[in-house]
Formats: sequence, C-alpha cells, structure tokens
Amino acid sequence: MNALGIDVGSLTTKAVVLKDDGGFAFGVADSGDDAEQSAREAVRLASNGSVVDLANGWHIVATGAGGKALAFSQQHKAINTCIARGIHHLNPSIRTVIDVGGESSAALKLNAKGRLSAWENQDKCASGTGIFLQQMSKIMKMSLAEMSQMSFQAKGRADISNTCAVFAESEVISNVHRMPPTPMPDIVAGIYASMVSRIMAMCKRIGIEQGVAVVGGVAMNKGFINILEQDLGFKVFVPEQPQIVAALGAAIIAKESAEKGAVA
Amino acid sequence: MSNSSKKIDAIIRACRLMLRMNQASPNARKSDILYYKMLENYYRRLLEAHDTGKLIAAHTVFFPTELIYAMDFVPMHTEVTTWMMALFTGENADILSAGAELGLASEICTPHRGLAGAFANGSIPRPDVMLWSNLVCDNTAKAGELIMKITGAPGFFIDHPFKDSEEELQYLAGEMGDMVVFLEKVSGRRIHWDRLAEIVARMDHQIALMREINELRKAVPTPFSPLGFLQLLTTDYLFPGQPEAIEYLETLRDELAEMVKQGKGAVAKERFRLMTFFLPPMYLMGFLDRIAAEHGAVSVTEPFFTFWGEGHLDPAKPLESVARKSYMIPEMRMYGPLDNRAIDSIKKCAKEYRVDGAIYYADVGCRHSCATIKLFKDVLEEIDIPVLTIDCDVVDPTITSEDEVRGKLEQFFEMLEDR
Repeated sequence: MNALGIDVGSLTTKAVVLKDDGGFAFGVADSGDDAEQSAREAVRLASNGSVVDLANGWHIVATGAGGKALAFSQQHKAINTCIARGIHHLNPSIRTVIDVGGESSAALKLNAKGRLSAWENQDKCASGTGIFLQQMSKIMKMSLAEMSQMSFQAKGRADISNTCAVFAESEVISNVHRMPPTPMPDIVAGIYASMVSRIMAMCKRIGIEQGVAVVGGVAMNKGFINILEQDLGFKVFVPEQPQIVAALGAAIIAKESAEKGAVA
Repeated sequence: MSNSSKKIDAIIRACRLMLRMNQASPNARKSDILYYKMLENYYRRLLEAHDTGKLIAAHTVFFPTELIYAMDFVPMHTEVTTWMMALFTGENADILSAGAELGLASEICTPHRGLAGAFANGSIPRPDVMLWSNLVCDNTAKAGELIMKITGAPGFFIDHPFKDSEEELQYLAGEMGDMVVFLEKVSGRRIHWDRLAEIVARMDHQIALMREINELRKAVPTPFSPLGFLQLLTTDYLFPGQPEAIEYLETLRDELAEMVKQGKGAVAKERFRLMTFFLPPMYLMGFLDRIAAEHGAVSVTEPFFTFWGEGHLDPAKPLESVARKSYMIPEMRMYGPLDNRAIDSIKKCAKEYRVDGAIYYADVGCRHSCATIKLFKDVLEEIDIPVLTIDCDVVDPTITSEDEVRGKLEQFFEMLEDR
C-alpha cells in the first residue's frame, strides 16, 4: 500500500510518501500553471527522482489552494484538517498551530485527539504572509536568509504598520532614508514584528494554548520565529520541515482511508 | 414599462418563475407554491399601487407593519426589497453605485445605501410616505430621513424605547398612535380599529404557528429545508397578520408534521444540525442550498430570527399589542438590551435542537450584529459547539466570493465530522 499526500500551495507544491515503517519521504516543487505537473514533480522528488505511476497502487489525498485540480487524487481534504493531522503525528502535545504560508496565514486550535476544533484564517490581505516577507526582502535588497540573520542584531524594532503590505513598504523606505536612518537590523525586526502582530491578533481570537507549533514556509525563517517567541513569551515547536506538514497530514488521512477501504 | 418599475418587475418575474418551477415539479411542496405566490402578490400590489389608487408606505425593518395594513396603505419593506433584488436579480451594483453617488460610504449597511440608491436612480416606485424608527441601529434611524430627502415624501419617525418596561411600552403605543394620526392626515382616511384588531388576532395565531413549526424542526432528521428559515423571516417581515401568511404557515406546519410522522428529513442524509446567526449572502443562495444538500447540513434553529419567546397579543388592545409584539420578536433579544435573554436562548436552542455547529454570517455593514460575534462564540464554545464566522455582505457580491465561502464551509463540515 502506498499512501501519498499532496499539498498544492500558491507558491510551492509538496508531496509526502508514507513508508510502511512509519517514516516518510517528501518532495517540494514550485507551483506552476499546471497543478498536476507540479504535483507529479513533487512526487518524483519524494521518490528519489524516479517517475511514479500514480494510477496504480496509490492512495492519494490532495489539499491546498490547488488540490482540487488533481484529477488523480481519490480524495480532497481542507488544508487545516491536514495540518492538524500532520502536526499531531509529529508532536502530539501541540494544541495551537500557526500556519504562515505564501499567500495566507491561519491559527488552528487542536483538541487532545489532535483534531481541529477551531481556526481563524487570514486570506484577504498580504500582510502576515510569505509574500509580504518576499516583498520586504526586495525593498531591503537582501535575501530572506540575510534578513533572518540580521534581525538577531536588532537593538530595537522599527514601527511598521501591520495593516497593509503596500503602506508597510513606504514605512520601510522612510525608515531607511530618515536622518539618522533607523538601523537595518531594527527595520528587519520591525518587519517581523508587524507580521507577528497580525498573526497574534488571529491567535487571540481562538485562544492561545501551549504547546504552540509554527508551520508553513515562513516557519523556516529563524528571525521571524525569534520575534514570535519574544512576543509570545515562550518557545514554539517548529518541525524540521515545516512546509510539508499539510502534505504529511494528507498522507496520513490517505493511509487511514485506505485501511478503512474508503479509497479505491 | 417605466424606469421606476424595473427592479420590482424583475422580482415579480423571478417569483413567477419560481412558482412555475415548483408547480411543474412533482415533489414540490404546496407551501413553497404559496410562498412564491404570496411574494409575487406583495410586489405586484406595490407595482400597481398608484394605478389602483393606493398609497405606498415605505418602511424600515421591525416596523409595526400591522398599522400600515390596517390603514390600507401598500407596504414596501426597504431592507427586504434590497435583499430580494440581490436574491432574484443576482446583483445590486447599479443601486450601490447610485448610493455611493449620494455620498454614502462603503462601510454603511448595503440594504440602506442600496435602497437610497434605488430611490435616487428611480428604479423602484416613489413612496407616498416614509415610515421608520430607531430600531435597530443608527443607520435605520438615519435611513428614513435620507429617503424623505431623496423622494420628497412626507415621513414619520417612531421613537422606539430601548428597554421594555410597562411605561416604555405605553410610550411606544403612544408613538404608534401618533403615527396613525399622521397616516390619517396623509390619506384622508380613518383607521379601522376593528381591522387592526383582526390583524392582531391573526398575528397572534401566526406566532403560534411559528412556535409549532419550531417544535417540528426539533425532530431528527429535521423536516424543514436547509435555509427554509429565510421564508419564515420574509413572512414575518412582509405579512404580519395577513391571511396569506396564515395559509402558508398552516400548510407548511401540516407538511412538516407529516414528514416528522414519516421520519423523513429535509436532506437525503442529515449529518450536521446547524444554528444560524444573521443572514447569508442572498446572491449565493443557490450555491448555499446545493452545498448544504451535498454535505447534509441543515439550519435547524435561528435564535434571533425564528425562535419566538413567550407572550400573546390581545386583539381587544390592538395598538398596545402591536407595541408589545415589537418587544416579543426574536430579534429583540439580540438588538434590545443584550442580557441573559440572548445568552439563554442560544444555550436553550443549542440543546433542544441538538445543534452540532453554528454559522455566523458576519455582514460587514452591520456593526450592531458583528459586535456580538465573540460573545455568542464564547457561549457556544463553552458547551462545545464550534462556530464558523463567514465575513460577507447580504447583498454586495464584491465582499465574498462563492469560492471563499465554499472553502470555509467545507473546512467547517470536515471539522465537525472529524470531532
């Protein structure tokens, strides 16, 4: 039995193949115009570069913004359901998940069984998402990794609006050009703080219960995690591969469905 | 056809189409046929009012429409008419744009700015009087003045006291009495108190029927359609104490009773029993019906729309009864002083209707309602009932798309199933 979970996100497509021994392999590919092609590429990367015949012997659950476009998947599940299942598999003590993806962010509340019990989504505005951070890195003329590293040297935080990505851009520019200019590390810390403030507001609506996990591509940014932990006042759990948690959850659901005989 | 008839005529044509579709369907409910007939007649009377020598009384929500009927005016419910335009014509861009030209900001409740726009661009008939009150919000209180200014129609404002002591009830009855004098002056006709007493007696029966229907909706599976409560709401708002409302509700009650007897549900496989707060986007009704049927999700209770509390109306005291009714309506538990009556009714409905989850349609223009989201959510979460909040607008399709609502509902249903 081969259980496969695929998360077709707005920027990247993730595939997770569950192994019989409980381990898993994963692949991450850029999301192109063709969701199926991106998914096949992610599966190929998860399979040590071999082309996989998905038509036979696979139990597949798709999720994410483009998940419904995958004709070869037997089931589609909502992204938050998959994240909840994935994170519970990795760390059963987690009760709150913060998911910061490319074009959306969400706060999830989990019950003791690791099932989703409430959530808040933020998908109307770029602030508080990966795209916001990418835009800021362009203005700052440094890579995301450089920004992350620099933020640890901050002695303060520049005030950056948390309400609009476009206006935040002009705030960053004015911080750079004011006399004396705001130190670059403080500006970067301010950028992260503006995202954190947006995300915290969402978390407070569902209530923050420890342990807290952060998933999604932005969770790989150590500078962002540092500011988030400062504002939360405690450490968060970041999985080794935070961007593949939804795909992992989808793979777990695929395995369970296959065992129950619900999927082909 | 004159320009001022266009929108109303579109509603009438849509009602007639629904009527024909129901008549042609072997599985149609007789109550649905009566409902669309009733709705068509309401708007036909409005369209033909001036040709038949009748006067049109435009009025805002939760207004004592019984008095308008007793004075033989043709009522035009301003908010419901905007919903109907969104429901049956699919869009309101033209009237919202006309509202914007009047200087109404996009944060203002769309039914109010839409209606102001519709009067301003002449796409609905000009009223002969404008009647309004401060129930339920500042927008409502100001809407009447604006419509008077746009249409040049004379108007009357009822000052509705916030609380419901006996003294305040008498004050409200006095306000309503003053309005009757105003309407007599405008029309040159005297009110028939006997007619008002008949209307009050029928309204009392109407409330009793609503209570019976609510009882039937407690059955598992529930017999009433997923979003059928909107029909009940429209009946309350447009036809208080009217014979056609009684016929519709009696027919519906009998149909539901028969279904309960046979153990039949409204959807093929009932999976999720929902509590609903506020109004879903009217322009998505077809989609919402489909997705509800697909997932076996049914709204079984709406504490602040259909769940009538205790109390009776006395035809021997018609004016006082109409005033009393305005404190009895389910909405008053939410829009009046927000106290334990609101909280208790939520808990009571959740338990008695065996609710699995709740959906709050958070209309962005209704700050009055949105202020209650967190409060109600906390109350329900205390008893382990999750609440989905959908940011939307009742009539403006630019706020939320079908895809967004689908994503949220699918996630919510998955969550309920997974618990």
